[in-house]
Amino acid sequence: MTLRSFIRHETLLALLLALVLVVLSLQSDKFLTVQNLLNQGRLMTETGLIAIAMTFVIATGGIDLSVGSILGLSAILTGVFWQNVGLPLSVTAVAAIAVGTIAGLVNGIIITRFKVPPLIATLATLALYRGLAEGISQARSVRGYPEWFYVLGQGSVLGVPTQLWILLLAAVTASILLAYTRYGRTVYVIGSNEVTARFSGLSVEGTKLALYTASGFTAAVAAVIFVSRVSTTRSDMGTGIELDAITAVVLGGTSIFGGRGTVLGTVIGLCLIQALKNGLLLAGVKGDGTIMLIGAVLILAILASNLFERSGPR
Amino acid sequence: MADTPAFVTLSGISKAFAGVRVLKDVSFDVRPGEVHALLGENGAGKSTLIKILSGLYTPDTGTIIIDGKNVKFASPRDATAAGIATVYQELLLFPELSVAENVFLGNYPRTSMGIIDWAEVRSRTRELLDSLDTHDLDVDDKVLSLSVAQRQRVEIAKALSKNARVLIMDEPTASLVEADVRRLMDIVRQLRARGVGIIYVSHRMSEIFALADRVTVLRDGAFVATRDVGDVDEAGLVALMVGRSIESLFPKLDVPIGETVLEVKNLNHGRHVRDISFGLRKGEVLGVAGLVGSGRTELALTLFGMTPATSGEILLDGRPVSIRSPLQARDLGIAYVPEDRGLQGLVKPMTIRKNVTMATLEKVSSGMFLRAREEASRAMAAVKRLGIRCRNIDQPVAQLSGGNQQKVVIAKWLQTNPRILILDEPTRGVDVGAKSEIHLVMGELVKQGVAILMISSELPEVLGMSDRVLVMSDGRITDVLDRAEATPERVGAAMTAPRSAEAA
Repeated sequence: MTLRSFIRHETLLALLLALVLVVLSLQSDKFLTVQNLLNQGRLMTETGLIAIAMTFVIATGGIDLSVGSILGLSAILTGVFWQNVGLPLSVTAVAAIAVGTIAGLVNGIIITRFKVPPLIATLATLALYRGLAEGISQARSVRGYPEWFYVLGQGSVLGVPTQLWILLLAAVTASILLAYTRYGRTVYVIGSNEVTARFSGLSVEGTKLALYTASGFTAAVAAVIFVSRVSTTRSDMGTGIELDAITAVVLGGTSIFGGRGTVLGTVIGLCLIQALKNGLLLAGVKGDGTIMLIGAVLILAILASNLFERSGPR
Repeated sequence: MADTPAFVTLSGISKAFAGVRVLKDVSFDVRPGEVHALLGENGAGKSTLIKILSGLYTPDTGTIIIDGKNVKFASPRDATAAGIATVYQELLLFPELSVAENVFLGNYPRTSMGIIDWAEVRSRTRELLDSLDTHDLDVDDKVLSLSVAQRQRVEIAKALSKNARVLIMDEPTASLVEADVRRLMDIVRQLRARGVGIIYVSHRMSEIFALADRVTVLRDGAFVATRDVGDVDEAGLVALMVGRSIESLFPKLDVPIGETVLEVKNLNHGRHVRDISFGLRKGEVLGVAGLVGSGRTELALTLFGMTPATSGEILLDGRPVSIRSPLQARDLGIAYVPEDRGLQGLVKPMTIRKNVTMATLEKVSSGMFLRAREEASRAMAAVKRLGIRCRNIDQPVAQLSGGNQQKVVIAKWLQTNPRILILDEPTRGVDVGAKSEIHLVMGELVKQGVAILMISSELPEVLGMSDRVLVMSDGRITDVLDRAEATPERVGAAMTAPRSAEAA
């Protein structure tokens, strides 16, 4: 539970990632190419953004299951506001992000005001927001966005996919926030012992409210990027993405009980999963085999880190 | 009795965790029908010794001999089978199950069909409780509805149900009030008369002299001495424990008392804070006495903004203030060192450094960024000021002894430079040495003009440390006594005085 054990988990994970990269590059010569790796970066941005916010949420001992539905809702609203309401696309994207943020705020209010456990609160809003998305979309999809919009999801800046810059910016900001600021410290204290946090005069409710709101915000940003990347909007977008994000966070060493975790760990976890998915696909392994392997890696990584952490009683 | 052969003998026991020796060549024995007190500061190795005896840990070296036979415990089950039972400090009952279900848990008598014989479970539980003179407890009550003292009796009954011949009691009176302590001591005497050997771990000297036949002292994991209680006095035992003599038990400083800083008028919150009015002055230690449930802690929580007052007035320096949250209380100069340091005071896995600065993060930050160096220097100063014994400020507080943990909580609140310090059970579960150090810190603070409100279940502490004593019962103040007039009798009478009918 010291800084040392954090570094240990992440070092372990980074070594594992390196190993996976080497093994996979031996399996297929298409894997370790700049083009392929950048493309994989493109694919993992949406999950990545969500996972970064999720790291904070889980580090407080909470969870946000509704992010996939918020993504779906924001994606639909982007399209519907533009096509059916006739607003400029730039405005609708912002409006959709605002709605996603509010959806996150609602989660936060349910959790902090009405003391509903995060698992249940966000399980409920998972259904609620997805239902809203489906109701609004009426099972229609939106296509034919203007060309400039695709810069976000399909374009490049300085040779690197646009959204990867956004992910990088988010990761760096979040790392600094969690590791070096009062807010980050408050997150860890809440996750380790919420009662003590309260008795120390820390703003438990305010912090949680901000985190769930931020989680909604990142899910909505991910939605806009997603729409831009795939050129279309459907109401089932982002289904199950919460589980991918949680997997990355937990693989990255964040304790599901709270109090422990880093953004760096989450990012390495994210890369590891994406590398496995893509590399195994290129190596000709079937999809179900890949999922099983990811499950196995998750369990092994957790076991290994628990082993390191155990340093005798007292 | 002195020549009765021992039932259990431990000899040459050593144990190390991750290379740190916590027990070095300790020998200890228990005879049937004796109370053998085990004494030592926190961290002296008492808990480890107990855990070895109850089969939770295996010793690295040394032997355990029971009834003349060499035994090895692979698990607590083996120890139970050998007749050793433990009543732990944190009671390990299942709150959702009934008394009877708890007593025979894992050990249910069965009918010839192999089905649990509930009638038998209940009647045998009844017998066990009756044998402990506990007729007021219903075997069908859920444990969660019981008081701590009642739960403890259930634990004892549970131990007896396994035919325990040695009963280990780890600080059994730590969270009991006076009346329950007396009752527990009766039970212990009764068990002794039945021939049960009792290992009694406690910090409270009065209990040891009232109960024990022999006493063994450990210090820093090593055996110091075993004595007949008749051969030692309190000062002698304390000296054995700490390896030096303690100046005075309650070092009350005479400090000039200043003007009133806090005034409370007709304060109310729920059932436990009713119509409370009192004043607290600069440089004063105001002790708060009362039974558990008398509203002492609730009053503190209301003053600290955890459970804001529903009516009444709080005045600071004569000006009315509203305290709706701990943060507000802190900013007004009120600090609260809570009753349960593990749950409310500390983040145990975190380092001393982080715990010390937890309530004052803005003081160690520029803007939103934490300043590691400022944090470290404050933590180091706190460690020095309070004499916290640790390897360094980056040691997790979970590894510290109870007394040092308590000092960390106090250090955290001293960071806020409080004008009013509320201490709730400041020395509960704290060893003698650390206790007197905490008392010295209190003296230092009042000298600087801090006003202290001290809640304590330990009457000698209240009487020894306070300038005035405020006695509560049933959510109300029943008496306020000056130091000179506060005798145990008067305080005790006020504590139990007018219990109203609804106090069920």
